[in-house]
Formats: sequence, structure tokens, C-alpha cells
Amino acid sequence: MDETVSEFFRRTILKIPMTEMMTILKTWNFLSENQLQTINFRQRKDSLVQDLVLLCEENRASLKDAALLDIIYTQFHRHQKVWDVFQMSKGPGEDIDLFDMEQFKSSFKKILKRALKNVTVSFRDAEENAVWIRIAWGTQYRKPNQYKPSYVVYYSQTPYAFTSSSQLKSNLPLLGQALTIASKHHQIVKMDLRSRYLDSLKAIVFKQYNQTFETHNSTTPLQERSLGLDINMDSRIIHENKIEKERVQRVTQEIFGDYPQPRLEFAQYKLETKFKSDLNGGILAEREEPLRCLVKFSSPHLLEALKSLAPAGIADAPLSPLLTCIPNKGMNYFKIRDK
Amino acid sequence: MELANTLSQDGESRGGVLAHLERLETQVSRCRKKLEEPQSTQAVESALGTRIHELRRLRDKLRAEVKQHQARVKASTTNVEPDQTLEITEQEILKRKRENVKAILQAYRFTGISGKLTSRGVCVCIGTAFEGNLLDSYFVDLVMQKPPQIHHHSIPVFIPLEEISAKYLQTNIQHFLFTLCEYLNAYSGRKYQADRLQSDFAAFLAGPLQRNSLCNLLSFTYKAEPEGQSFPFCARLLYRDLTTTLPTDVTVTYQGTDALSTTREEQRAAHENLFFTKPLHQVFTSFASKGDKLDMSLVS
Repeated sequence: MDETVSEFFRRTILKIPMTEMMTILKTWNFLSENQLQTINFRQRKDSLVQDLVLLCEENRASLKDAALLDIIYTQFHRHQKVWDVFQMSKGPGEDIDLFDMEQFKSSFKKILKRALKNVTVSFRDAEENAVWIRIAWGTQYRKPNQYKPSYVVYYSQTPYAFTSSSQLKSNLPLLGQALTIASKHHQIVKMDLRSRYLDSLKAIVFKQYNQTFETHNSTTPLQERSLGLDINMDSRIIHENKIEKERVQRVTQEIFGDYPQPRLEFAQYKLETKFKSDLNGGILAEREEPLRCLVKFSSPHLLEALKSLAPAGIADAPLSPLLTCIPNKGMNYFKIRDK
Repeated sequence: MELANTLSQDGESRGGVLAHLERLETQVSRCRKKLEEPQSTQAVESALGTRIHELRRLRDKLRAEVKQHQARVKASTTNVEPDQTLEITEQEILKRKRENVKAILQAYRFTGISGKLTSRGVCVCIGTAFEGNLLDSYFVDLVMQKPPQIHHHSIPVFIPLEEISAKYLQTNIQHFLFTLCEYLNAYSGRKYQADRLQSDFAAFLAGPLQRNSLCNLLSFTYKAEPEGQSFPFCARLLYRDLTTTLPTDVTVTYQGTDALSTTREEQRAAHENLFFTKPLHQVFTSFASKGDKLDMSLVS
């Protein structure tokens, strides 16, 4: 086995936490049960990794197998990457999309290989209708860099693709082109949506985040469900602004619904608006040029945080539509200009 | 007295006689007392006797009163019961009617399209089924404003919902729902066939089943007899019409290099025809049953 491949194996296996080692190796399914049993998993990680690499060498593992292991590791640790969302579109009046996964894969690979001689493309099918693509980029003269790959997750017959933000931004147009052509679309556009939580991004663009529906079969009527604030818990406590509290709860529930919010870490607003002031004078009031500033909201779970602002008394209800439109519009990057 | 006086002349004999007389007097009074005692005890007895009679009388009187009261209560309840049961049956009738209606509303989902009124409009539930098997249900929550709009839904992203709603939602909601129902039922049916092939007939497949989100392109390599010596065929099924559960294009090819014998060619053509006309899993069921027949012939 090539030294570079061997080193790639070593570094990939070293990344895997000990608690997940067995699970990931079994998912990879390259080393059999019997072979794994010959390894002592209780030794120190360094020596364990050495043993595993030796075992891979004995089984003539190739770069392709290593790339597959890398994909599996990334699938288990998808939160370590930041994902962008791309939206593709077809021309009007297109034929029914008879998506053939094998055709897609070979077409995608061909397009990349034609443009860049040195590129490693690997695929792994996931769920029923999705594919994870790993691309290691090289140049005309350099071999692909296996340590900075790009990942693409694509669900067949949908217009959306999720890509891990690559440090190599120059390859993005080529990646977009390959995706568009292979999936038989015409155009591709980058959405203003970014997060570490791939499943939340999927829920937002596939509109799967609100899955509560009123039916005759539901046992809990929607009105009776507690809205979080049990106002009548203790009869010795009188709430002075009970009506206002209930109004805030109602408005919050109308906007955010009863379902768990998709998880995003931030919302960013780039403002290019003229300064508006209530005061008459002031230096900035007469400024013709727009004022440029960036407002960024960060949170471990931004939408749940926004949902709790009004009930906590920190903000007025209803919140600004700029904040509440995030899942509906599928955006968390905004550019605001004067109309 | 005179006796006492004459006796007092003789001092000693006086004492004796007087004392004797006194003794006799006390005896007499004692006897009298004894005679009186039974009388008094009798009196006591009779007093107690009358008391007992009195108490018995009182007891009987109270018993009679209790019985009377009970009889009165019974009489009163028997008088009241007819009214109360009337009320109960009215209530019960209404309750049963309400439960009946609720059950009918719940059962409506088996018709395929059912809905519930919401504060905004209506939440429609589209239930899918294939060959008598109930499959997934999908929801569309509609806002009934002047142009009706979809508030939110659970339709998979690869179903052309935007197209269908652009065509029909504003003009003819019925047509919109029926078209959506068609697409969803067909998708569910195709998915059901692909799932059945993967799970129940894995022994017949020589490789993984290739499918896509809409299950409108299926590609697989199979053997008509799993353990037999038959050659694997490659099948490619295309469903160009998204409202149907049977393919529009079928190609069955032979993988090997040497030419097909006539029997094999006939088999290939027959298989192609089968895939056109029968649902996928039924085709494989017929392969399986044919296999059983072959085994039978070998045994006999």
C-alpha cells in the first residue's frame, strides 16, 4: 500500500473516538468480524491504530476504501462541518424526472474528472433516496488533497443540495456545474442559509419542521395543551397582567407553532440603510449615505431562543418579521437596504 | 300498760316479762315484715314486669315506625324511578349519538380524503392505500382566504405540489385535492411494490435494488429461480406517468455473453410482459409459486 494512503488511513482512524471505533468499523464493513476479533481494542489508541492500519494493508485496502471510511466518519460527525444549501432549478415544462442514481454518479464523476485530472470522487448511499459525495481536490499538477475534502449530500428528485463549506472556494463553480448537469437541472443558486445542523437545514428546505396537524383522531385538543406558562399554579399568587401574558402566549404560539424548531446557530443581518432618528438634530441624521453595519444573533438554538423572548418579557410580541421569517423563507443571512 | 304496772312491783320478774313481751313484739314485727317482703318483692317484680311490657311495647312501636318509613321510602323511590330513567335514556341517547358521529368522523379517513375544520380553514388528510393495504397519510393545511393558500403540509418534497397547486388550487379545490390524491396514492403504491421486492424477495435479487425518491425508476438483476441454474436477467422499469402504479417502459435484458436459447428468449419476453401487467411483488410471487411447482414435479 502506498505510503500516502497508509498515512491517510492512520489519520482517519486516529480521528475516530474510542467509544465509536467498533460501530464505525462495523458500518464500514471492510474488515470482517473475524479480522476485528484479532485486534486488541483495549490497548492504547496509538497502538490500536497501528494494528488496524496493518490489518488494512494486509487486506490490500485502497484509497477508495479509505475515502469510504472518511465519509462514514463524517456522517457520524456531521455537526463538525458547516453546511451550505444550494437550490437548483429546471426550465419550464420539463419532462418527468426519471432519476437514475448510477447515471447521476457516473455523470457527476465524469464532469469533475474532465475538468480536473486529479480529483477523488467517492459515493455512499444513505437512507432510501440520498447520496453522500466526497470530493478530494487536486490540480493539473498536484495530487488530490485528501485532508480537505468537500462533501455533498443530495436527495434524488429534489432541487436542493447540501455542501460542506469548503476551504477551497475556487472549486465551488465546478462543483455546482457537476451537480446541476448530473441531476438534469439548468441552474444552481446558493441560498442564504447556513448551519452545522444538516438535519435542521433539511427540515427547513423540505418544509418538514411543522408536522402537527389537526385531525379527528388526535386525543389532545390543541386549545387545552399547556402553553408553558401555568398561570393558575398557586392560588395565593395573583398575576397582575394576566391578560397581557395570555396575549403574548397566543401570539407566540401562532407564529412559532407547537412543534420543535429547527436548529440554527446564528442569524446575520447586513444593514445598508440610512440612519433613522427620532431626534431632530444629530450628525448622523443628515447623512445621505447608508450606514453599514452587521447585526449577528448567536445561540446554541437560535429559533427556540427567539421563541422564548416574548414570554420571558425580554421583547414585545409579535417579534419583528425579520426574525420570525427565518424558517419560512429558508434564510439566515439577510441584506437589508432601504426601499 | 296494766301488765307493765303490776309487773313493776316485782323488779326482776318485771324485767323478764317485759323483756319477753318486747321480744315477742319484735318477733311479731319481724314476721310481719317477712310477710310484707314478698309483697314488696312482688311489687318490685310487678313493677319490673310492667316496665318490661312498656319497653317491649316501645320497641314494637319503633320497629313498626321503621318499617313504615322504609315502606314509604320504597314507595317514593318507585314513584321517582320512572322519571329518572327517562332522563337517563335521553342523556344516553345524545351521548351515543355524539360518539357515533365522532366515530364516523374518525372513520372518514378510510375514504381516502377527509378533513377537519380549523380556525384558518381546513386541514385535509389524504390517506393512501394499495391493494387493500393502508399506507401512509399525508396532510395539507389550507387557509381558506380569497385566494386559498397552503399553510403547511406533510407532502414529500419530490411530489410536484407547486405545479399542482399552481394549476388548480385557486380555481377548483376539489380538482386540486383529487389530483394530489392521485399522485400520492400512485407514489405510495410504487413505493410499496419496491419495498416488498426488497424485503420479501431478496433471495431472487442478485444485487441491490436501485430506486429513486419517486420510485419511478427501478433497476435490478434477478433470477426467476433463486437456487436454480437459471441465468440472471436485468430489469429496468420506468414509470413515466406519476399517477400510475404500473410501469410505462420495461426492458428485460440478459447479462451473459453467449446468445440466448429460444426458451430463454421466450422467458425473457414473458417476463417483460409480466412486469408490464402485474405489480412488481406479484410477479415475484408467481416466480416463487412456479418454483414450488417445479419442486413438486421433481419430487414426483
